[in-house]
Amino acid sequence: MRRYSTHNKRKRLNPVLLLVLLLTASLTILLGRAILTTDYQTERLGDDVAQFQKLSGVESPVTAVLLNFRGYDTLLEVMVLLMAVVGVWSLTQAPFPGKPIEPGPVQLAVVRLLTPLMVLFAFYLVWKGSSLAGGAFQGGAVLGGACVLMLVSELPWIKNIPSRHLRIGLLAGPFVFLGTAILCLILEGTFLAYPQGWAGSLLLLIETACAVSIGLTLACLFAGGRPKDDLSRGRKR
Amino acid sequence: MISFEGQSWIILPLILPLAAGLFCFLSRRWAFALSLTAALGNLLSIGVLLNQFLDTGPLTYNVGNWKTPLGIALRIDGPSILMLLMTAVTGLGITLYARGYFAFRIAVPKRIGRHERQERFFWPLWMTLWASLNGLFLSADIFNMYVTLELISIPAVALAALSGKPASQIAAFRYLLVSLLGSLSYLLGVVFVYKTYGVLDLVLLSGKTASGAGMAALALMSVGLLLKTALFPMHFWLPPAHANALAPVSAILSSLVVKGSFYLLFRLWFDVFASAVTEPMVNILGTLGAGAIVWGALQAIRQKRLKLLVAYSTVSQLGYLFIAFPLAYLDMGTHWGTVAFMVLAHACAKSAMFMASGTIFLHAGHDRINDLAGVRSYIPVTVFAYAIAGVNIMGLPPSGGFIAKWLLISSSINSSQWWWGIIVMIGSLLASVYIFRVVSRFFVIPEGYKVPDRRPHSPLLEWPALVLALIALLLGLIAPYPLHILETGNSLFSMVSPKGLPL
Repeated sequence: MRRYSTHNKRKRLNPVLLLVLLLTASLTILLGRAILTTDYQTERLGDDVAQFQKLSGVESPVTAVLLNFRGYDTLLEVMVLLMAVVGVWSLTQAPFPGKPIEPGPVQLAVVRLLTPLMVLFAFYLVWKGSSLAGGAFQGGAVLGGACVLMLVSELPWIKNIPSRHLRIGLLAGPFVFLGTAILCLILEGTFLAYPQGWAGSLLLLIETACAVSIGLTLACLFAGGRPKDDLSRGRKR
Repeated sequence: MISFEGQSWIILPLILPLAAGLFCFLSRRWAFALSLTAALGNLLSIGVLLNQFLDTGPLTYNVGNWKTPLGIALRIDGPSILMLLMTAVTGLGITLYARGYFAFRIAVPKRIGRHERQERFFWPLWMTLWASLNGLFLSADIFNMYVTLELISIPAVALAALSGKPASQIAAFRYLLVSLLGSLSYLLGVVFVYKTYGVLDLVLLSGKTASGAGMAALALMSVGLLLKTALFPMHFWLPPAHANALAPVSAILSSLVVKGSFYLLFRLWFDVFASAVTEPMVNILGTLGAGAIVWGALQAIRQKRLKLLVAYSTVSQLGYLFIAFPLAYLDMGTHWGTVAFMVLAHACAKSAMFMASGTIFLHAGHDRINDLAGVRSYIPVTVFAYAIAGVNIMGLPPSGGFIAKWLLISSSINSSQWWWGIIVMIGSLLASVYIFRVVSRFFVIPEGYKVPDRRPHSPLLEWPALVLALIALLLGLIAPYPLHILETGNSLFSMVSPKGLPL
């Protein structure tokens, strides 16, 4: 009879669960009270951003904050994404099936049509990031989608991509970003201070490289492990 | 055209390990050489920074030349330079030890693939973790600190899972969940702060008056950081994660990573939101700290495995840092002095202890405390390092641990809160029980004991632990020096005028 009771969806409330529920509810009420009783600072940093927008090299305030005013945060965020892949690769190999499965003709046709379009759209998003909503993360997400589409179609060449190429692709964004920042340090004397007049093009360069890396990052996270030949060079010694 | 000014040294502790981490991911052959170069460069630049700091007082650096509140500022004051120094010294020791550790394991013909995989991924993860720790200590912006916390926890979790054993993977997964929960709680607090005050810079924030939402923000951020610092009873994730990791990783996690979130917590409570902190709040943390000291020590005494014992000892030692909260509250002005020694001494001693346990594990093939008699016959340096680190954990003179406990006890008497002093003494007594329990076995060689065949190992496996343990031991002799650094550093937050803007 005990076995059947686990199938029963209505679980009994035990006292501990009830206590946790009560505590969470009171926390919510306290938080709500704190929010409602506070006078908000109405002037936040929006005015400052608008004031310095012209100097940032881009027209979109979001991109200006992300890559120029607080570019240092974004540099570290890009590193976080890379570390996620390194972490996953350190755990396991990508579980690709041994035998390639022949994808259906319809699926192949769709992939052939959609993938170039998605790549094009991804770079359009990066390009538009300077003036409208868009940028490396959005473009990278679309690029990642294109890669995932190819992964699920199990195209035979996908799993034969050498791991060195993947590593270089994954590192492109962080390398370009950090390299630009160091170049700024050497030329301008300050970390991440883009030279006058060059900010726009440097930001586009960083965004493009980061979009490629972010797309690959997402695809590698989807694949769920390191490529097969990742450690083989070491073993041959 | 090319200009490298004196102020640019402040960014090097961030750039060097970060770049090394990227290159380590690309090239395996150069990984150790790159990491060592980064570690030495880091030590050099922190030496230069310390010199500049003692000359001119706190340093400020605007990243990208954007002034606060729009941009992000990096700042160095007394506590942060001490933390950077601690990370640089301990990190250099761990880097050297890790080289010896992996070389020794790869030399064994068994399971080479696994050991090579561990080494392959260790270096990029460790270098990035190091860069983000430095970033946290340098940063003066609560959102930037959130990003560095994330960049600490992701590599830390990956490192904890690196050994590949199911036990370590389960522990690492739990660590990941706790860490994410802590980060999100902290982030929610940051949202509240930005909504309420409209700035993210620590110095600008420290002049604001506390409000309801400000208190909610402080509570949310504190809970997140307490989870990450593993204060009793939120310590449940720490012992399995630290004990099941590879030895160099245990040393990193136990001596450095928990200190990062603690540093941020202490800074928020005593430098930024000091006006909002009340006596009941610090007493709650003090009580939890007392619980941690006693519970952690009792658990450590009960353990059968060496690494678990050392991990529970970390839980116990972290308790002292929280006992400092009620003491620092009534003894404002010297508040960093009460915790600085504990943090410094514990970082050196605990990493030495984990390295020594790792070496013992490698040689004996297990770490069951009851069967470890006689190890000193073949790894005497390691056993000596363990014992010296133990002296520090117990708090015997002239170790840094002694100075830390002395400061805690004298401060508890000065502020008429003698009960905290008694807890500190009880903790030391319990610590001596779990230290002697192990050390007494190490030094006895049972009758008829045959020295097992020992494989040759590089001196890197033994000496870094000893040097770190000796640094911790001798820290007590140079006690006035760190205190002098702290006195120079207190001026950063006292520069703030009542209106909230730096003069």
